[in-house]
Amino acid sequence: MAAVAVGGDSDLLEVEMEIYVLVKQVPDPEAIIKVKSDSELEIENKYFTNFFDEIAVEAGLKMREKFGGKVTVLTVDNKKVDALRRGIAMGADDAIQITDPTLEGSDQFAIAKALAAYLKDKPFDLILTGRQAMDDDAGIVGPAVAELLGIPYVNMIIGLEMDDPKKELKVIREVEAGKEILSCTLPALFTCQKGLNNPRIPQVMNVMKAMKAQIKKLDLAAIGLSAAETGRQAAKMKVQKYLPPPKRPPVRMIKEDFPENVKILVKLLREESKVI
Amino acid sequence: MLIVDGRKWIKCHNLPSTFHPPISKGVIMSNEIWVFVEQQEGKVRKVTFELLSAGAEFSKKIGSPLAAILLGSGLQEVVKSLSPFADKIYLVDDPSLASYTSEAYSINMAPLIKEHPPVVLLGAATSTGRDLFPRLAMHLQTGYAPDCTGLAIEENGKLIAKRPLYGGKVFAEMVFSEARPQMATVRNNTFLINQNLNKSAQVIPISLQRDPSSFKKKVLGLEKAAGTKLDITEADIVVAAGRGIKAPENFKILEELADALNASVGTTRATVDEGWRDQKDQIGKSGKNISAKLYMAFGISGAIHHVLGIGTCKTVVAVDTDPNALIFNYADYGIVGDLFKIVPALTEELKKVFAADK
Repeated sequence: MAAVAVGGDSDLLEVEMEIYVLVKQVPDPEAIIKVKSDSELEIENKYFTNFFDEIAVEAGLKMREKFGGKVTVLTVDNKKVDALRRGIAMGADDAIQITDPTLEGSDQFAIAKALAAYLKDKPFDLILTGRQAMDDDAGIVGPAVAELLGIPYVNMIIGLEMDDPKKELKVIREVEAGKEILSCTLPALFTCQKGLNNPRIPQVMNVMKAMKAQIKKLDLAAIGLSAAETGRQAAKMKVQKYLPPPKRPPVRMIKEDFPENVKILVKLLREESKVI
Repeated sequence: MLIVDGRKWIKCHNLPSTFHPPISKGVIMSNEIWVFVEQQEGKVRKVTFELLSAGAEFSKKIGSPLAAILLGSGLQEVVKSLSPFADKIYLVDDPSLASYTSEAYSINMAPLIKEHPPVVLLGAATSTGRDLFPRLAMHLQTGYAPDCTGLAIEENGKLIAKRPLYGGKVFAEMVFSEARPQMATVRNNTFLINQNLNKSAQVIPISLQRDPSSFKKKVLGLEKAAGTKLDITEADIVVAAGRGIKAPENFKILEELADALNASVGTTRATVDEGWRDQKDQIGKSGKNISAKLYMAFGISGAIHHVLGIGTCKTVVAVDTDPNALIFNYADYGIVGDLFKIVPALTEELKKVFAADK
């Protein structure tokens, strides 16, 4: 965080925030995904930027608008960089792709190690990401990066109130019993979810510009991470077998007239499926 | 020590290398099965009992004790209610742990786990479990399967965790590397509670490993959700309506049905985006996945975003005016009809049969 005194009046302190947003390109919710074999999936080639990550980008941009500074979008992916371009189109200043052949087959912990290796010597104030990626739906990378950097994090935030980045800020996260209100100081990592904001739709001009924007590529050597920490052999988990989703028996349509159909439904729920 | 932009701050999480927690030797054994207990205001969450019931099966199969790990403040009542469900209760009872934070809880659990790694550590796939477990797993350098919908254990202690991917379009059976514990969070209603375990737990108090009072992150308070209904992820029965309910005030008929069934009320993305319902009640890909015993959808067309969130519900009922609505492909029972007629009639019918039961 660089503090710049504006006009000599110490009350008017403009703060420049260093904000990093971790993003990922994932299959579109409409994409068809099928089990090809025990060890392979067939994924329709329809991708979009993880919805929760867009919320994180939006949150970062809002902070920059308020306090000044820089928003950098960051991804670990050997192929797909469209999430970075989306971030740029939305208004991020910089985009970084961590890419290395040895990352192939990495689990979420190795991805977190790569992100933390890059971030550890950066002057970050705020790290944002989505509550989970809509592919593995794991929600591991955000908390794991915070753990590796030794900073606090708050998961699944739906509110962020900050008046001064150097002081305590207030975050709200959703829990089963309601809304939990926490205070925290920066640097910190927050995972974002629906309800925090509505991500802006980039203008066509900005989308065009983002297509041509330069994306910095960094390999493991550049971020100082050993190949032994990544890839399939370092994974703490592996898929033993992919399975299709459990199939429901064909629907039983209750065709009797109203109100007989309601009586039959209650009877079936009580006597056949025994759930009430 | 991490130096960021000239400011020095101690890693809030890692223990200083000289710090050795006073754990009485021989009390905690390696290769146990542990369940992380979730409780609130002295009441243990139902899912914790579900996990202890599954844990009891696993412990029988691999022949090692089942332990509940319980952190918090003022936990006598909680200990009492857990006792029949576990062989041991590791208890860290301290005022500084009254409010859960991932930092305070993981720093107090990690040393215990490191000293004598359990073979399995289970938690609930709740806002707490899914907050704590990834941080703890990274710290312990071990595997973690989130949001599981099934678990099995082999006699050699190898855990197989089944979990949905891509919002439930496919599932994966995951296995762990040699690192221990094998960690997993599990959805509500995945396992049945076994009320007949008849255990009587040995309570093992453990002193606070590290006082989190100086941590910068603090819980200021909880703004409780209105009403007394359980969160849709926890409820046995969920009734929901989508845009077909036409106006926010019409949810009243659904609330009445929910009252008759002791159910919670869910909804779709469309009504949340309209501002009719709270985001916390949204079922589906950008909302919540539910595993209710009974899910009833009224005036919900069955967009993929929505049905992905109900894939692990046991019984699904769909009511919609459109006979071609996609929701019927994902239901066990279907009625083509007007929810404004069906819902009130269903409420009355249920009240009648429940009254007759008494």
